[in-house]
Amino acid sequence: MIDVIISQIIFIASLLCFTVGGIGALLLRKNDAIANIWSNFFAILASLFGLSFAALAVMSGGDTSFSIGAFSLPFFSLSFHIDQLSAFFIFIISLISLFCSVYAIGYVKHFYKKYDIGVLGFFYNMFILGMLLVASSSNWLFFLVAWEIMSIASYFLVIYDRHDQNNVRAGFLYLIMTHVGTAFIILAALLLYKFTGSFDFASIQSASLLIPAPIKNIIFIFAIIGFGTKSGIIPFHIWLPDAHPAAPSHVSALMSGVMIKTGIYMMIRIFLYMIWPVPVWWGLALLVLGSVSSLLGVLYALTEHDIKRLLAYHSIENIGIILLGLGSALTFLSLGMPSLALLGFTAALFHTLNHAIFKSLLFLGAGSVISQTHTRNMEEYGGLIKYMPYTALFFLIGSMAISALPPFNGFFSEWLTFQSLFAGITLLSFYEKWIFILASGSLAFTGGLALACFVKAFGATFLARPRSSHVSHAKESSLSLRIGMASLALLCLLLGIGSGVMTVVLEGVGKNMAVFKNAASVVSLSGQHIVVGKNFASVSLPLLALFFMVTGGLVIYITKFIINKHQKVENNITWDCGTDLTERMEITATGFSRSIILIFRGILRPSIQHDIQYHDAQSRYLPKSRTVILKVHDVYRYYFYQPLHLAVNAVSSRVKNIQSGNTNAYILYIFIALIITLLSVLWK
Amino acid sequence: MSTLFLQFLLQIIFLTIVFLHITKKNLDAIFAYGIQSLAILILLINSFFETGDISLLFIALLVCIVKVILAPGFFAQLIKKNELIFSASTYLNMPLTLVVLATLTAMAHSYRFSPITNIIPANETLLSLALSTMFLSLFLIVNRKGALSQIIGILSLENSIVAFAIFAGLEQSLGLQIGILFDISIWLIIATVFISMIYKQFGSLDVTDMKKLKE
Repeated sequence: MIDVIISQIIFIASLLCFTVGGIGALLLRKNDAIANIWSNFFAILASLFGLSFAALAVMSGGDTSFSIGAFSLPFFSLSFHIDQLSAFFIFIISLISLFCSVYAIGYVKHFYKKYDIGVLGFFYNMFILGMLLVASSSNWLFFLVAWEIMSIASYFLVIYDRHDQNNVRAGFLYLIMTHVGTAFIILAALLLYKFTGSFDFASIQSASLLIPAPIKNIIFIFAIIGFGTKSGIIPFHIWLPDAHPAAPSHVSALMSGVMIKTGIYMMIRIFLYMIWPVPVWWGLALLVLGSVSSLLGVLYALTEHDIKRLLAYHSIENIGIILLGLGSALTFLSLGMPSLALLGFTAALFHTLNHAIFKSLLFLGAGSVISQTHTRNMEEYGGLIKYMPYTALFFLIGSMAISALPPFNGFFSEWLTFQSLFAGITLLSFYEKWIFILASGSLAFTGGLALACFVKAFGATFLARPRSSHVSHAKESSLSLRIGMASLALLCLLLGIGSGVMTVVLEGVGKNMAVFKNAASVVSLSGQHIVVGKNFASVSLPLLALFFMVTGGLVIYITKFIINKHQKVENNITWDCGTDLTERMEITATGFSRSIILIFRGILRPSIQHDIQYHDAQSRYLPKSRTVILKVHDVYRYYFYQPLHLAVNAVSSRVKNIQSGNTNAYILYIFIALIITLLSVLWK
Repeated sequence: MSTLFLQFLLQIIFLTIVFLHITKKNLDAIFAYGIQSLAILILLINSFFETGDISLLFIALLVCIVKVILAPGFFAQLIKKNELIFSASTYLNMPLTLVVLATLTAMAHSYRFSPITNIIPANETLLSLALSTMFLSLFLIVNRKGALSQIIGILSLENSIVAFAIFAGLEQSLGLQIGILFDISIWLIIATVFISMIYKQFGSLDVTDMKKLKE
């Protein structure tokens, strides 16, 4: 039975279901409801196939290789190779797709009669199909086709709500950035081909020693730019905060939770599989990039009052945390410490899985709120916990998980990352040690700021009083939305409590890779404790969970049955100094983050604009209204992309001169090019 | 046929291209193109006698119809219909044009191009000349402002390639040759229609006048 499930047939069935779901939705586009049910039913079915295949492939440890069709093209083949690493990423893609598709059944209804549901279903299925192909392909050209399917499908999903010009602009920026990234990926692939003579991943790996060290460094830089753009690593992130919020929320969840991880997957595939061994500085560079991305990602998130942009910036932060794990793994491996490298690698994989789950949950929660309030501006929320209690609970769980609060899953993967960094501080020499110290500091800062950010997000959205009429008309979301969110919330808890088991499984994924073949495990399970090294650090999540439950229970018990035992509780209106409590007395999202923004003003460069209107402009004693506008400028746009844009424009305007519009001139160019080509060939 | 005669035919092709560069009258250009195509036809018939391949005779027949009769006929009608007696001017003046022609011919004969012209060592001189006819045809397209001259330049380039292929022993399959000829005949029809329309629209076939399209 297990053999049947992990056989290629199940995986191909998954791919076929996505194809049928997509094409069928397009054919049934005349009827919104049927197109919606069709596309999401097949997406759910395909996800279940993918999930069962990937889960058992990860557990059994077997590799699957196969090709589809008999192409006689010299470089191109539809060849798949699914080892445990691929299976792990297929597992993440299928898992999140499953819950997003369940959620979508209800969520998509608010697009009925407004947009074409068949088109949404088509691109949604193609998008997931593209991601699965990316994670399973084993030939560069096939991979690039899959990468484009994923990118183009996601572009059309970003501009799906095309009546909003901001979404169209965000899509355009995404399209440009993703293709700039693809250009660098192609260059990296061509360099690999030039020195190994093959586009096949396994052949490249076996011939990797033929690649000279300087070329390897160039490939590393190209891969970082190419895949880093897709992952949203700072400074290649500018498309992400615009594009992710623009898409429908279940798509945002997939983009932020899963798509950006395909960049991480390919980095692992190249650095730890294709061109290993690598120099030490690659790992250290990843640590620096990870530190910068995590810290600045969370700082920018703090400045946001658009709930989806806030979540999108947190994706940048979490990609940074994953890079910290991956960077430490690369550094340890290059320095001949495979066991510690395995620890860092496990942390990176675990955080990849955890982030996929809690970020999807948060995006689905945000989508649920937006579908009721029709705005993404948190300043117009408030008090939603009374109207949407389930959504509030699920969003709270997601917020706690992303803030790394125990007993949820985010805590443990960050804890493992910390242990990996601390090990580096203890064991490495001066130069590397300081980078590990800075990375640890950055991670600690990031954790604290993320907590502050989600206190703001949850507080401004769900607590206090409604700040707009939309909120007071909001209703709890439908069953399919709640099922989607509840399942992910439950997973946040289960993966937290079962983190010990997950660590062992993920270590197995690492050990399946050739670079970790001889690495001894640093993490061990001692009862309910997870121990790193020989008592270097230990934690027990079930005990922590028990501690929180007992503490919570005790607080409730003491308050209710001991302190208030002889007191009669009366419910009254809060004393308000004789005035009516209104929403204007609440702290806003901007107000909450103001002090933190001002602390980091050197980096964030905020500008504050005050505006006061008086009842009587002459006397100026009685203000009618006060406005405070707190703006944060994107320093990357000002100091990196705008100068780059100007330079490209200047060069383009000069180059434009050769395009005279005269046919003779064009033929002359061809003539000259021909002569030069002939001479250069014949010169040899 | 002797090599001397083949060389004579190739020299005719070469000289017709030089003439195409010099002439100002469209009818003369068409006449020169007809002569050039006739030389190609004789070369193909020669190949037939040498190899005995009947398909070459068939191709020669097609060349005769398309290049020697149809193409010059189409152009002659076009000139008559639109009264295009004189062609448009060139970008370079005559002395400079001749200098460039001499340079390109010398380049084609230089030892740098010997890997190309030495495919069949016995025909090296002929291949060098054929290569220079290709360069000169390309330059004709570049240097001429008139659309008609440019079209003749393209057809002349095609003739040069055929001549080079014959001397290099690179004759292609019958299907491919027929395909090329069919391609040329269709191309001729389209080009003729286009030229008529361009002339109607702009009142000239000078491509520099077509810059107005951009405005």
